[in-house]
Amino acid sequence: MTDTPDGDPATGRDQQRTGDARGLVDRVERRGLSVLAVVTAAVLLVMFYYPVGTVLVEAVFVDGAATVRPFLDILRDPFYLGDLAALFDGRPPADVVSDALSGGPDFGLVGFTVYQALLSTVASVALGVPLAYVLARYEFPGRQTLRSLTILPFVLPSIMVATGFRAAFGADSPLNGVLGLVGLGPVDLLFTLEAVVIAHAFYNAPLVARVTVAAWESVDASAVETARSLGASPLRAFRDIVAPQLYPSVLMGAALTFVFTFGSFPIVLALGDAELITVEVRVFRLAESLDYAEAAALAIVELLISLGVLYGYLRYEARQSARAREIRPLPRRRFVPDSLSVRTLLPRAGLVVYAVVALVVFVLPIASMVQASFTDAGGLTLDNYRFLLERQAEAAAFQVQPWPAVRNSLFFGVASLLVALPMGVTVAVLTTRGYRGRKLVDAVAMAPLAVSGIVVGIGILQGLVFGVEIGPTRLVVGGAVAVVAAHAVAAYPFVVRTVAPGLERIDGTLVESARALGASRMRALVDIELPLIWPGVVAGAAFALAISMGEFSSTVVLATGTDWYTMPVAIERFIGRRLGPATAMGVVLLVVTSASFLVIDRLGGEYRDGL
Amino acid sequence: MKRRTFLTAAGAGVTAALAGCLSQSNNDDSLVVATYGAFLDAPSVSPGEFVKQEFESEFDTTLVWQSPPEEANHYIQREQEGVGIDADVYLGLSTGELVRIDDELDTSLFATAPDVEGTDSLREGLAFDPEGRAVPFNTGYISLVYDSTVVEAPETFDGLLDPAYEGQLLAQNPGTSSTGRAFMLHTINEFGTDGEYTYLDFWSDLQDNGVTILGSWGDAYAAFDDAGEAPMVVSFSTDQVFADADGADLAEHQVRFLNDQAYANPEGMAMFEDADEELAQQFMEFILRPEIQGEIAQQNVVFPATDNAELPPDYSDLAQEPPEPVTFSYEELRGSVETWIDDWEREIAG
Repeated sequence: MTDTPDGDPATGRDQQRTGDARGLVDRVERRGLSVLAVVTAAVLLVMFYYPVGTVLVEAVFVDGAATVRPFLDILRDPFYLGDLAALFDGRPPADVVSDALSGGPDFGLVGFTVYQALLSTVASVALGVPLAYVLARYEFPGRQTLRSLTILPFVLPSIMVATGFRAAFGADSPLNGVLGLVGLGPVDLLFTLEAVVIAHAFYNAPLVARVTVAAWESVDASAVETARSLGASPLRAFRDIVAPQLYPSVLMGAALTFVFTFGSFPIVLALGDAELITVEVRVFRLAESLDYAEAAALAIVELLISLGVLYGYLRYEARQSARAREIRPLPRRRFVPDSLSVRTLLPRAGLVVYAVVALVVFVLPIASMVQASFTDAGGLTLDNYRFLLERQAEAAAFQVQPWPAVRNSLFFGVASLLVALPMGVTVAVLTTRGYRGRKLVDAVAMAPLAVSGIVVGIGILQGLVFGVEIGPTRLVVGGAVAVVAAHAVAAYPFVVRTVAPGLERIDGTLVESARALGASRMRALVDIELPLIWPGVVAGAAFALAISMGEFSSTVVLATGTDWYTMPVAIERFIGRRLGPATAMGVVLLVVTSASFLVIDRLGGEYRDGL
Repeated sequence: MKRRTFLTAAGAGVTAALAGCLSQSNNDDSLVVATYGAFLDAPSVSPGEFVKQEFESEFDTTLVWQSPPEEANHYIQREQEGVGIDADVYLGLSTGELVRIDDELDTSLFATAPDVEGTDSLREGLAFDPEGRAVPFNTGYISLVYDSTVVEAPETFDGLLDPAYEGQLLAQNPGTSSTGRAFMLHTINEFGTDGEYTYLDFWSDLQDNGVTILGSWGDAYAAFDDAGEAPMVVSFSTDQVFADADGADLAEHQVRFLNDQAYANPEGMAMFEDADEELAQQFMEFILRPEIQGEIAQQNVVFPATDNAELPPDYSDLAQEPPEPVTFSYEELRGSVETWIDDWEREIAG
């Protein structure tokens, strides 16, 4: 494109003006990052900050007047804060503490929500890190496929997970059958805190694993070899060389898990008794009653806690100073050891134990979902899939059909991936540059992860579907482009989080040398930095796809009444008295997203090999 | 191409695409009817397609369905935000929704119903709007459904507190579920809100007896039916209609009316303020016709609102009506229901 229609580059005047004759491509390339930054900010503003703002502002403007009343009401209400509420009611802290200690402390709804999120985070890390270890350090048949499918649980609609968990962990479960055979049990975990925590781990341990694997694969083998040759034991080498490079990723997984489970809503409603409700359930209920002042105030309290945790993590991430150059990853061990000794058998025995736990927590619920799709009141059946075919053939124009849902999901998945990747990389670059307050910017950019999904849905309805009046016209936002943008907004923080830690660690002199040799910032990014952190980029892409494929709350608001519904929307529509049809559609989602993950990792791997 | 021109062109494209309006324009010859999703698209049966075909074949007009996921709240919010409403009739309005509409809006969302032929056949006790906007068109009852191969359900509310029924009941949270709300209202009808023993005392005793309270009817029903977690569930009195269609054993799907009662949830239709009044009137009259009432009842698996609906004689074999329906009127709910639920949440949940 050096030969542009207006012929600028050919004229001497232009050469004088720009100092060289590289033309439009170079100019765009040089400004590329700025352009991307502006576009990213615009998309976020329109699709996220504005609509969410229209809802949150209801907490501080009641009947047209500014007020802090809704916040005070929440902070002073023992229902929300338990014993802490007295603090905001003006009682001396010492009295509050002694009261709390005398009667067993109670921290109310917010306290319980934090508590279950902490438990879920611990469980997710405990289940996720060993999985990362297996995937990063061992070679076995199917490893690549397993690695690609790790984040599958992440996309599953809650209805599927609830169905799987009921079948897997109820009184009549196959698990109890097995436990009975060995003289244990029965256990009935349903509707307890344990069930909720395990379901949260089902969703989030894969997240912890996926980000940790990416970090583990970026550990340079030569550093470990050097340590070993200097006499360090394997454990010592792990502790001093490997572990410090994993902490940031494990902590990131933990921070994200906390934020997601803190905002948990449908899983708590489906698998927990009424005593286990969370802040987000309450936000939902208040929003249903159109009590927006209290709902918004509560959502802001929720948001501040989540962003606080994310900000804490980001400050930590920024302090990590390990430097990455071209690396040679650690070689993988064969799972079946070459020789038999305590040293080779002990870790593998541990992994076998882990595998049994993982089978129960991850595989059993998914297998139960699949089984549920082939079952009805009379036993084994194909009726649920027949239902999908009948729907495809005979549905009325205003009814949801399976194939368009699959097609739309794939389209939105790819399109929002293509939007979310550049958005995420741009924000990652901008927040890893050195300036004051950049981690604050980063935390604000992570807000789509932390804001109540209920509030996002209302905001999209009020701010975008209803639109704004500008002069005589009402500007409304809807249709396929809006769905893609909404998905990209929900997905891009994952790209940031998987790309930023790598960028942070890249040796700055590499980029500086490239810049000194005349490369634009954009070219340095594409040619030098991204290849170095490629596993993070592919992980981000997989997350972006997963988020898009699983997104429900924004999609249903934007797509209702149009033909742009997706698989999760179809699943929701197919829920009836019996869950068979919905689970059959869920299995379709499972298959389609699995295939997509395999393709993404394959393409990502090929692209890297071609670099 | 100059960069500026390119950017402007691209920008215009994005704006145009983003501005693709969702709402269907309301042509003169079409009737737009808003309703809840399951009326149009349920995996078993739903009356939407039948109603549309029948209506269009008789009246020279197009019936356009609208089913926003927020249901009635969608139109309240539209009215609050000053966005126009492009629907003529709302079909499927509950008493609670009407209360919420009037609580939230100073303006009127619905007009007084026109003189609708067929209203003199309405069954007694179903009319729930003192201002005559909503005309009832069907009703359902919330009762216990139980698996008689496991347990014989108690006859009374107090019976539920018997240790024999410990851990045997699945209910729903009235804050997040409409069946849960109906059942809570039924307990308020039984025990009252003040006095020595209130509905909250009853719920507290229920909790001591191991009731499981889940977020939605679907979650609770699946725990009853799929997982067999408990043999009694708060559900609909039409349960056997579905069970029979699925070929299930009816002994596992028995209906129990506690104290010979069940909570009735009548559903109404109302005309939006700026509707095409003539078409809306035709539609409402059409819905109340005996043959349409019968067909909607069967396909929506509920009961007709009129006493002359044409139903197969064996319909009542499977779809059961309580000897004594119980329901709160609009006036009783207005100003109270939110407090009752809030008190319940503070006492029982959290």
